[in-house]
Amino acid sequence: MIRRLTRRTLLRNAGMAAAAPIFNLKPLRGIDFILQNSPTAKKFLIETMPGGVALFDYNNDGLLDIFLVNGGHITESLHVPENFERTNPRYWNRLYRQNRDGSFTDVTQAAGLANAGNGNYGMGVAVGDYDNDGYPDLFVTSYGKNILYHNNGDGTFTDVTAKAGVAGGGWSVSAGFFDYNNDGLLDLFVTRYMEWDADHNKICGGDWHTYCPPSVFPATSCLLYRNRGDGTFEDVSARAGFTAKKGRALGVAFADYDGDGFTDIFVSNDGMQQYLFHNNGDGTFNECALESGAALTSDGKGLSGMGTVFQDYDNDGRPDIIVTVLPRELYGLYHNDGGGSFSYQSLETGLGALTSGSSGWGVGLEDFDNDGWKDLFVAQSHVLDNVQQIDASLRYKELPLLALNHGGRFERADSGVTTPIAGRGAAFGDINNDGFMDVVISTLGGPPMLLLNRGGSGGHWLSITLRGTRSNRDGYGARVRVNGQTRFATSAGSYLCANDKRLHFGLGPVEKASLEIVWPSGTKQLLNEVRADQFLEVREPEHS
Amino acid sequence: MIQLFLLTWLLSQASSPEAMQHMQAGLEARKQQQVTVEIAEFRKATEIDPSLADAFVNLGRAYMEAHDYGAAIAPLKRALELSPDLPVAHQFLGYALLAQGYAAEAIPHLARVGAQDALGIAQLETGQLNEAVSILGSALAKRPNDPDLQYYLGHASGLLSKSSIDTLLAQYPDSPRAHQALAENYFVLRQMPQAEKEYLEALRLRPDLPGLHLELGQVYANSAQWPKAEAEFRAESQLRPGSAEAAYRLGAALLQQGKAREALIELRRSNDLKPEMPETLYALGKAAALNGDNNTAERSWSKVVELEKDTSLAAQSHFGLAGLYRKQGKTAQAQHEMQEFQRLQSTIGPPRSE
Repeated sequence: MIRRLTRRTLLRNAGMAAAAPIFNLKPLRGIDFILQNSPTAKKFLIETMPGGVALFDYNNDGLLDIFLVNGGHITESLHVPENFERTNPRYWNRLYRQNRDGSFTDVTQAAGLANAGNGNYGMGVAVGDYDNDGYPDLFVTSYGKNILYHNNGDGTFTDVTAKAGVAGGGWSVSAGFFDYNNDGLLDLFVTRYMEWDADHNKICGGDWHTYCPPSVFPATSCLLYRNRGDGTFEDVSARAGFTAKKGRALGVAFADYDGDGFTDIFVSNDGMQQYLFHNNGDGTFNECALESGAALTSDGKGLSGMGTVFQDYDNDGRPDIIVTVLPRELYGLYHNDGGGSFSYQSLETGLGALTSGSSGWGVGLEDFDNDGWKDLFVAQSHVLDNVQQIDASLRYKELPLLALNHGGRFERADSGVTTPIAGRGAAFGDINNDGFMDVVISTLGGPPMLLLNRGGSGGHWLSITLRGTRSNRDGYGARVRVNGQTRFATSAGSYLCANDKRLHFGLGPVEKASLEIVWPSGTKQLLNEVRADQFLEVREPEHS
Repeated sequence: MIQLFLLTWLLSQASSPEAMQHMQAGLEARKQQQVTVEIAEFRKATEIDPSLADAFVNLGRAYMEAHDYGAAIAPLKRALELSPDLPVAHQFLGYALLAQGYAAEAIPHLARVGAQDALGIAQLETGQLNEAVSILGSALAKRPNDPDLQYYLGHASGLLSKSSIDTLLAQYPDSPRAHQALAENYFVLRQMPQAEKEYLEALRLRPDLPGLHLELGQVYANSAQWPKAEAEFRAESQLRPGSAEAAYRLGAALLQQGKAREALIELRRSNDLKPEMPETLYALGKAAALNGDNNTAERSWSKVVELEKDTSLAAQSHFGLAGLYRKQGKTAQAQHEMQEFQRLQSTIGPPRSE
C-alpha cells in the first residue's frame, strides 16, 4: 500500500494542515420538508427510526434531485389498523427537482408521489432502473406496505406496486436494487426489522420510559424479489434462503466480496450478529458471516448494527464492511482479507477510538478530499431521545462524524456542522457537479441538511456513470478500478438511503486515469489515458 | 446419637415411670416425624414431672421443629433454670430467641455453645458489626459453600463499610478520602459527572493517594473517554509501578484506542506482575494479535481457555483463536475453535455488548 503524496499530506507533515472544514452547511433553497416522526409518550418504536433520502436524477437533466421519505402522524391512541394520515400534505414524502441555480422545486404532486397510503409509516428509499428504460425508479419502504414507483420518463411516476407484487408487509427498512442472478435485470432486496405493531408496542426503561431494545420483539426475515423482466417480481425469499434466516435487519449493502462474479449481500442487524449472504450463483444464498469473520466483534460480541457500507477503504481491491452501532460499542470495520475471510479492524484503523461514544446511522465511504482514499461520514444521534437522563455521559443529538482516511487509518476532521442534530439517513452525491462529494442528512423532527463540499483540497477527480447494455442499465454490481482504487457500483448502502449512482474517484494530483471495469455480465473493459475532472459515461461493450 | 445419649442420661435420673413413658413416646414420635404427638408427649412429661429439665428441653425442641419458636422459649428457659449448664438448652434457646428477634438476649446463649453462625447474625442485628464480620468470617471458613453465611457476611461487611464511611464523612468531610468515598458512591449510581468531580477534588488534595487515578480512570473508561482514562491509568501506574491492575487497565485503555504496541507492553507487564489473570491474558492476546504477534496471541488465549473452561471469557478466547487460525489458513483448527465458541454460547449465552 503506497501512500500518495498529496497537498494535504505535505501540509500536515509540515505542521500546517488547514483547519478549514470540508463542508459548508448550506440551506437547501426551496426545500421546506420537515421529517415528521411524531414522537409520543407511548414510545412507539417506529418513531425513532425514519427517514430515507435519495439523491438521483429522475428527469435526466444532469442534476441530482432529492427525494425525502416522511414518517407519518402518530398519536398516543394509535392502534391496529394504524392510520398515519399520509394523505395530509404535512406527512407526504417529497420529491424536489434541482434547478440550474442550485435551488429546488417541490414537484411531489405533479410527479404523482403525493400520497404514500395512510397505513404506511415511511422509512427508506431505494433507486434503480428496474425496467432498463433509462429512467430511475423509486422503491419506498414503510412500516406497513412498500411502494414501487415506476418513472414514466415524463416527470411523473406511477405506483406499480400491485402489478409488480412487491408490497411486502411488516416493518421494512433499508432496501436496494441489485442483480443477483446477472440476467441484466435489477432485483430487489428489502430488510425488515422485527415483528411489531402498535398493539404490541412496549415501553422500557422503568420510570424513564424509553424505546425498547430490539430483543424485546420477535425477529423477522428479509425479502428478495426476482425481476421477471415484464414489470413483475417474484418473491424468492424462501427459495433463496432468506426466510429461514431471521434477524433484526436495518441496513443493507451489496458487493462481490469473493470475486466470483456474483453480488453478495451484507445485512446489518440490530443487537445480534451481522449477516453476510454469499451468493452461490444458482439463485440461492448462504449466510456465512460467522465463519467469514464478519458477524461479531473481535470479542465475539454482537453489534447494534444500523447503517452499513460495503466498499474498499484501503485500496486493496476488495470490498470491506463498515457497520454503525450504538455507544459503548465501536463502529465495526471488517477488513476483507481475501479468500472469503474478514477480520475485525475497528481498533487498528482508528475507527474504534472515534466512535465508542457515538450512535451511527447513515454511513458512506467517499473520497471527500479527492486524495485517492475513501473517507468516512456518519450521521449520528442516539436512538433514545431521553438518553441523557439515563446516562449523563451520552447525548441524544450529536455532530456527524467525518473521518479522513490517511492510508487506511481514520482521523477525525471538521465536518463543518457545529450544532448537534438527530441525524438518521445520509445520502452521498455530487449535488452541484463540482467534482467533490456532498452529503444530505435527514434529521428526526427537522429539515434535511445539505453539507456542500468546499472542494478545498483541489484534488483531481473522475465521476463515472455506467451504462449497461448486456448488464443491467445502471451497471449495479460492476467492479470499477481507477488508478488503483476500487468501487463496487451500487446506489444502496448507508441507512434507508439511496446514493448518487455515479462512481466518484478522487485522483489527488494525477490528471490522467486508467479504468478497468468488470461488468456483471463478466465483460472486462479497459480505458487508459482518461482525462481527469470530468463526468464520464462508460457504455458496456455490446459484445465481449 | 444425641437421642441415645439423652435417653441414657434420662434413665439415670430419678423420675417417675409415667413421665419416662411420655418421654419415650415423645422420642418415638420424633423418629416418626409426628411433631404434634411429640409436643403432646413432652408436654405431659413436663406436667407429670416439672423438675425434669430434659422434658423441657425436648418440648422446646419440638416446638422449634414445628417452627413455633415463640412457644419454644418458655420451656427452654425453664430447662435452664433447672439445669443452667445444659448446652443443648442454651443452643436451642439462642436460636429461638434469635428467630423471634431477641438478638441481644440470644447472644450469651449462642456464645456459650460457640454457635458461630447464629452468633454472628445476632451480633449483626445488634449492630456489633466488627464482631459479626469476624465471627461470620470464621464460620464461612468452615462452611465456605453456605449461602446463608455468604449473605450475612456480605451484609455485615457492607454495613460495616457504610458505617465507617459515614463516620469518615461526618468527622472529616473535606478529607481526600471523604471525596473518594463520595466519588465511589456516585460511580455505583452511574452519576459519572459527580463522580469525576469528587475524584478530581480528592486528587487536588492528595495527588499521590493510591487508587484515586485508577478509579477516576474507570469513570472515564465507563463513558468511553479513552484518552482521559489512559492518562489516569498511566498516572496510577507511575505511582504504583507494582500494581498489576493499573498496568492492565492502562493496557486495556490503550487497546481501545488502537495503540496496540503500547498496549502490548503494559499488558505484558501486568501479566508479569500477576500471572495467569484471565482478563489480562485475554487482553494480552488481543494486543498481540493486533501487533501481528500470533504466537503470543495463541499462547495467551489458549491459557485463558485452560484457566476458564466455560466462561464467557473462554468463549471469547475460542472466538479469537478461530480468527487467528482462519487468518493463518488453518481451517480445521479455526472450525474447531468456532465450534467451541458456539458450544459455549449455547450454554452460557452470547457475550454481552460493551
